[in-house]
Amino acid sequence: MTELTHEASLEHAHPEHEGTGVDDRKLGMWLFLSSEFLFFGALISNYLLYSNRAGFPGVYPAEIYDIPFTSVSSFVLLMSSLTMVLAHNAQSRQDVNGTRTWLFATAALGAIFLGGQVFEFTEFIVNFDMKLSTNPAASAFYVLTGFHGTHVAIGVIMLLSLWGISRRRGGLSDKQGLNLELVGLYWHFVDIIWIVIFTVVYLLSVPPA
Amino acid sequence: MSSPEHIHHPSPAQYWKIAVVLAVLTAVEVAIYYIHRDFDLGHFNTVLLLLLAALKFVIVIGWYMHLRFEKSTLSRFFTGGFILASALYTIVLTALGVIAIRGG
Repeated sequence: MTELTHEASLEHAHPEHEGTGVDDRKLGMWLFLSSEFLFFGALISNYLLYSNRAGFPGVYPAEIYDIPFTSVSSFVLLMSSLTMVLAHNAQSRQDVNGTRTWLFATAALGAIFLGGQVFEFTEFIVNFDMKLSTNPAASAFYVLTGFHGTHVAIGVIMLLSLWGISRRRGGLSDKQGLNLELVGLYWHFVDIIWIVIFTVVYLLSVPPA
Repeated sequence: MSSPEHIHHPSPAQYWKIAVVLAVLTAVEVAIYYIHRDFDLGHFNTVLLLLLAALKFVIVIGWYMHLRFEKSTLSRFFTGGFILASALYTIVLTALGVIAIRGG
């Protein structure tokens, strides 16, 4: 009877789809991330459509990019993927302190990246007068990078929530460990989207001749 | 960890090595950007930067997101979404003249 109850509770904690053999929540997260490709694809395409089109008033984003600064930001976000996977690894070894430390490090790196984005936007608006409504290229740039930044901000909130739960309860349970895995997947996805944005939007973008 | 398949995941030391590879690839990307500014690599610049980005993309998905250690169902769903989005926007951007097809 006790065994049955234990099995039932395990099934409840990790409900697996009969056909796929994959945890439902995990499958749901992968499907969600897969659908996000369409979302970001639309925003990147929108940027590519207007970034090089001549005839708009005001400054174009590609004329004022600070590549060294953005390279450092990209490096910071890339390293946050390392700390995230180390948090996941620590959780799998039931290393409570390690999990907490790496979770906090990931959130801190995400916050640094966001700070960099706020600084970049401020520079563009104050020093170059490139606002959201300046021209379609600027608009596409702010919408794309702004939406990505929003995803990072949501990730930071989720990471800090897990860190807070771990601190309050003295560690993460199996179920919360799965939450950490799902947040990790989301975080890495945000990172791979930035890999594309950094190359396509920053390194390959050229202003109209 | 939530399920037995995770036992094959890389060790922390391997994760650090992967991070070094990703950092080096990023440094190479930035170096190519500056080399192209001074010496004009032409289309080679675009091809090279896209290849490096694709490599970083695959490394993060495969090793950090553990997709190469997961069940094939997840790979199919994820790569399916990626291929669908890539194909859709390649067609749209080609139709709108952003991506040029040479020949004829």
